[in-house]
Amino acid sequence: MTQRLHNFLYGVILVVIFLAAGIARAEDKIYVVTTLPDLADITGRIGGDLVTVESLAKGIEDPHGIPMKPSFVPKLNRAQVVVLMGLEYEHSWLPGLLLEARNQKILKGQSGYIDVSIRVTPKEVPTDLSRARGELHPLGNPHFNLDPEGGRLIAQAIAEGLTLNFPQHRKKFESNLKEFLAQLDAKLREWEAMAKPLKGVKFISYHADFTYFADRFGLDYVGTIEFKPGIEPTAAHLVELMQNMKTGGVKIVLREPHFSEKVPNQIANEVGGLVVKLPIMVGGVPEVKTYFDLIEYNLRTLLKAAQAAGVAGKV
Amino acid sequence: MRTQLKLRVLIGLVLVVGFGGGASDVSAQSSGSPTASEVENLKKQMAVMEEQLRQLRLQVERLAGQPAAPGSAGQPAASADELATQKRLSEIEGKANAALDATKKTFASQFNPSISLAIDTIASYKSNSQGFNPGDGTGTRDAGQPINNSRPAGADFNLRTAELFISADVDPFTRAYATINASADAANGDEAALTVEEAAIVTTRLPYNLTVRGGRFFADFGTLIHRHDHDLPFVDRPPSIDTLVGGEGQTNGVEVSWLAPTPFYLRASATVGNKFGSDFRDGVSNTNSRPIKGLTYLGRLQTYFDINDDNNVELGGSIAEAPNAEDVTNSGRFERRLVGLDFKYRWYPLGRGLRQSLTVAGEILHDVGDADPVNGGPRIDIFGNPVRQGAWGGYVYAEYRLSKQWRPGFRFDYFQQQSEPLLVTNPFTGLPASTQNATGHRTDNRTWSPYLTWFPSEFQRLRLQYNRSDRGNAQDANEFFLQWTVFLGSHVHGFSERE
Repeated sequence: MTQRLHNFLYGVILVVIFLAAGIARAEDKIYVVTTLPDLADITGRIGGDLVTVESLAKGIEDPHGIPMKPSFVPKLNRAQVVVLMGLEYEHSWLPGLLLEARNQKILKGQSGYIDVSIRVTPKEVPTDLSRARGELHPLGNPHFNLDPEGGRLIAQAIAEGLTLNFPQHRKKFESNLKEFLAQLDAKLREWEAMAKPLKGVKFISYHADFTYFADRFGLDYVGTIEFKPGIEPTAAHLVELMQNMKTGGVKIVLREPHFSEKVPNQIANEVGGLVVKLPIMVGGVPEVKTYFDLIEYNLRTLLKAAQAAGVAGKV
Repeated sequence: MRTQLKLRVLIGLVLVVGFGGGASDVSAQSSGSPTASEVENLKKQMAVMEEQLRQLRLQVERLAGQPAAPGSAGQPAASADELATQKRLSEIEGKANAALDATKKTFASQFNPSISLAIDTIASYKSNSQGFNPGDGTGTRDAGQPINNSRPAGADFNLRTAELFISADVDPFTRAYATINASADAANGDEAALTVEEAAIVTTRLPYNLTVRGGRFFADFGTLIHRHDHDLPFVDRPPSIDTLVGGEGQTNGVEVSWLAPTPFYLRASATVGNKFGSDFRDGVSNTNSRPIKGLTYLGRLQTYFDINDDNNVELGGSIAEAPNAEDVTNSGRFERRLVGLDFKYRWYPLGRGLRQSLTVAGEILHDVGDADPVNGGPRIDIFGNPVRQGAWGGYVYAEYRLSKQWRPGFRFDYFQQQSEPLLVTNPFTGLPASTQNATGHRTDNRTWSPYLTWFPSEFQRLRLQYNRSDRGNAQDANEFFLQWTVFLGSHVHGFSERE
């Protein structure tokens, strides 16, 4: 009996040693955990072959409701840095996971906690914090990744954060950043030309995800299907919204992939408009594999819809 | 010439920044007392401005350091420009510094911990009270100790919980939290009794993936046992937990938990405390000291697996052992051992999970010992002899999320009393405590509970529940609950309270 117990214990110890060895090998590269896939893509560009990047959330998920899966805990425990959007975008799941992960390096305030919103000037910062106004983001709208200029700030913050943690690779990060930004600048010119017919196009969306995007490309954000941030629509709100859409000639209803089709379809039918499914993160639709894909896909899809609805401007 | 052009661009930028700085200056002053978030934003904006200023200054320095353009006849104009720029820059710098200084003011209130309050009210109706007949030939059918603190028959409104949750970092090495609960319970003469449910200190920086928690806390045992009442997926705590643990698994003690450095989630914890669960009449409480062997020792191991992106399973096993607790009432000693296994299966499709998901979860408990924590004294067998015997209990529930707002569910609960009555109701005459429990069967206690929860928002919840309770020799009872719960204040999503 005792012999069997001993054998079992030796077995357990061996398994643990093998596992530990496996982890150690995998950690030759810098192991970065990001909250969202956009951050993983950009971190991959900045870190190049020096880093292994993993995003906790997948692109099709609701970024406000990522479940706290215990399988995230060992990842955060091993992470050398964590890259997050900030502005309390991840408030419902990341702080709890960080407390459980027992990794001092990535606690808030430590150098391994890379908040990419550090350079962003937030929009829609509430002047009055009351839950009567819904599930507010106290620090402002966190969806700045949908603006390519936001992408620039994200890349810069990531490069800075990585350099702070791994100064020996500064040159590499800087040159990768430069390359990324040059590519972004070139794309930006293309996108701005592409978006010209979208100037002044009115639209609504389910949640206030497109504020920064609309501001960048001159679209007119008329309202949200949600009654208040995070609060499902009430009947009275929908009636008012559709009335506004009819009087304002709003034909475009944006639907983020994680919201149901039912209400957007009803609204579009009622006002004679079109529902357009636009991802808000990399991976939100299968075609969008990189951050550049995301911006490009959104512009292209929206443009097609605006033309179909007859609301696109002439260039 | 190019230098001049650059300078013009520079001045333009500077003006923009200047106006920006002015604007944030004004906004900082106009709001009487800036909230933490405003200050935070201001700080962020200042950081951005500082960075811009730094860049501008660098550029100016670079330009100033450039060798004078050949044929420096044009120089006076350029240097006048430069001077103006520098003057403007220093003005802005002054403004920026002043604004930055303003944001650096600290308010004593900034050190206030985060506070939230849960208000949990319940309207209930119960068709009949269900006592546990002592089985000694006395009393009527439902005489005796009410089973697991269930409420008496009839209708009432119950403010079950007004619970204050306070938490903050203590210093770089620890954080702490407390849960202060006031509940006005009809069973207590409707007096609001203020209790400290939890007050614990938790380390944040121990090496080797260790965390130590000390004070009073809900011990790491099972899954729903360490949830607060208002945080349960149902209105009432599963009766099996109420009987075998006694409400929440509270203990005064110290806990060490460890996260295994494995690629999958594996967590272990060990706890030693005064007691586990409610104060039992046999002396396991916080009020008296005891020999080391008289303390309660707990252990738990839990793990989790993603089957794929949409399906996952959590498994756990727990043990609570009081090897030699003192029975004050009967001046004897007894052992109590509670073993629990728990599982949780979740179907949570990525992207749709907030609106459509399924949870199936349950716990099995086995309580072995020689004292009866509910009725006091030794456990007795069906013949009334003191005996060391085990009691089984557990529950399983399934909850389906129909939308972000609606979640119907169903729970089944089963448990055995630690002691069995000597005499039971005669099934033919219906006379209580009139027939010897000769078959030796343990009394079954079953509860069937369909329920429906509606979330108008994340901070408000209404829940309707029906309980059909079969309690051994007592008459079956019907219970109806309508629960209305709200949460005020800061919104803390703890890992152990995850859905």
